[in-house]
Amino acid sequence: MTSIDLIRMGIKNLWRRKLRTFLTVLGVIIGTTSIIVMLSLGFGLSQSFENQIAQWGSLTTINVYPKWQDPSMPAGQKVNLDDKAVSAFKLIPNVSAVSPIVETYGAIINGRYVAQVPIRGIDPDVMEEFGFEIVEGRLLESSDELTVVFGGGIKQNFYDPNARIWREVKVDLMKDRMSLTLNPNYGYDVPGPNTPTYKEYKIKTAGVLNEENWDTSYAAYMPLHEVQKLIKEKEKAENIKPQPGQAKDQYQQINIKVNKIDNVQEVQQTIKDMGHEAYSLNDQLESMKNTAKIIQAVLGGIGAVSLLVAAIGITNTMVMSIYERTKEIGVMKVIGASLKDIRSLFLFESALIGLLGGILGVAFSFLISFIVNKFSGSFGNYFGLGPEAKLSIIPIWLVFAAMAFSALIGILSGYYPARRAMNLSALDAIRSE
Amino acid sequence: MEDLIVLKNLRKVYKMGDEKIVALNDINLNIARREFICLIGTSGSGKSTLLNMMAGLEKPTKGEIIINNLHIEKMSEKDVTKFRQLNIGFVFQSYNLISTLSAMENVSLGLTFKGVPKSKRDKMAKKMLENVGLGNRLHHKPQELSGGQQQRVSIARAFVDNPKIVFADEPTGNLDTKTSFEVMDLITGMARENSQTLIIVTHDTEIADYANRVVYLRDGSIERIHQNEIVRGGKSR
Repeated sequence: MTSIDLIRMGIKNLWRRKLRTFLTVLGVIIGTTSIIVMLSLGFGLSQSFENQIAQWGSLTTINVYPKWQDPSMPAGQKVNLDDKAVSAFKLIPNVSAVSPIVETYGAIINGRYVAQVPIRGIDPDVMEEFGFEIVEGRLLESSDELTVVFGGGIKQNFYDPNARIWREVKVDLMKDRMSLTLNPNYGYDVPGPNTPTYKEYKIKTAGVLNEENWDTSYAAYMPLHEVQKLIKEKEKAENIKPQPGQAKDQYQQINIKVNKIDNVQEVQQTIKDMGHEAYSLNDQLESMKNTAKIIQAVLGGIGAVSLLVAAIGITNTMVMSIYERTKEIGVMKVIGASLKDIRSLFLFESALIGLLGGILGVAFSFLISFIVNKFSGSFGNYFGLGPEAKLSIIPIWLVFAAMAFSALIGILSGYYPARRAMNLSALDAIRSE
Repeated sequence: MEDLIVLKNLRKVYKMGDEKIVALNDINLNIARREFICLIGTSGSGKSTLLNMMAGLEKPTKGEIIINNLHIEKMSEKDVTKFRQLNIGFVFQSYNLISTLSAMENVSLGLTFKGVPKSKRDKMAKKMLENVGLGNRLHHKPQELSGGQQQRVSIARAFVDNPKIVFADEPTGNLDTKTSFEVMDLITGMARENSQTLIIVTHDTEIADYANRVVYLRDGSIERIHQNEIVRGGKSR
């Protein structure tokens, strides 16, 4: 029997019991739809988690901190976060950029307005690689002196320390003349005998970063060596001598950019193995993703129940069909249908029911997904996922997987009935009425 | 004449609970190529069982069935099916047409399983239905045809692929006398034309007149074999 005849005959057989075929297919449609929609909710959740975390900072950045070490440990065994470590990190595979971060706090003075901000020193050459996005001006260059790139959110930090009532603060980070001081108490009178005198530096603005990234939005960035210089001058003013126990040239933090999100875990582990503390937002993403996966599994399980019911429906339909067609099967056997022909015919019919249900189920799922997303704005707010969050996402692979899976379900459900049809005795079948 | 079918010591026992029913007992029969054989007997004589066994639909308890030098009783179901597909045509008492298929589709169904392309098998089926006088009923469903017409469709189906042997199990059992003779004329005429071996089961002695040899069965044994000198319908020979 040729495939084309098999297909023609199978379709004809399904068509002659339109209502029953339709109802069975409907079962599969509902089953497939419920699985797809449930899974799509999981994907949506996972995606919103990812978006949310991406707002906190880059997912491909690893922050390395010095590990607490016993001070009595001999100096040779200590793991230092210094320039040597920086060069070592650069050699780790999949690392695309490394920059030490030096951080201090200072006040930006803009006329009568002041903003207290963290001042971070970074290697200007790797800013772009770390994903700093400029909305105005340019990024830092290594030749810059007393030049700052501001986080976009800083303009909201300015206030007038002498104001009695609140007035709207108008500053233009790009154009206004500003100066910087590392005086932690700038604008306040601090009682005490000998308050150190801090320098005020006139600064130039190179650029302003976008506000999307919460990590960079509220800090001022300067070239690494500049910040190191400022800190030294501050320590001098405060008359602080370097602590004897602390090694020189130690960094408080080194940031590492990894080329791909999939490699973050591995690089992070390598760094931990070198004896440093390493964190990334990926850690949180992993745990949130696991949560999303569990929710998805539960939802998918609920969906799977209805597909199971649909599968039983297919089996039932095919068994009924065999009872009806017993005589026909017998006749076909006597006039030359091979066992394989009979089995193929029934398997094809049930696979077709499954596939048809799968295709229509996918179409129906997109409709439901569309409706869910249409109303998900308010849901999104409710869950704190933001108004643009899509609650239901159907990846393209799921479309094909669902169709293939429903066809497979059809074949599996049809297997028992097909075997039964195949093993019918031709003689008994012919005699049956 | 060369023997096409050889039956040796054939025995069939059915078990019904504790009781054993001997349906066939020690049957020995040789059937030549192009011979028309009639198996005749009352109900329960074992004639249908014998026919089914020769067609490979039932396995004997003991004995040998050799058709065209092949041992049918030793074949697997798969091989028997293949053998049937290639060598055997079947006509039933109750026609056994598939009710959802048209006359032409019913006739071409066997060819479908053989993998004959649609255009070719439609042509063959059409020609065959014209031969049995149903050229104007090609697309009728079985329930739209009379008993005689249905049996003609069934005959067309049996002969369409020019099988070596045609088995007919009470082909006239559901028909009136006049139609019975028409149908018998048709079957024997076609078998003769195509040099086929024809084996008919009946309980009607008038039908037996068509055969070269009539095998009388009684209680599962061959009672006697009668050689017909004058064969009915033989005038067309």
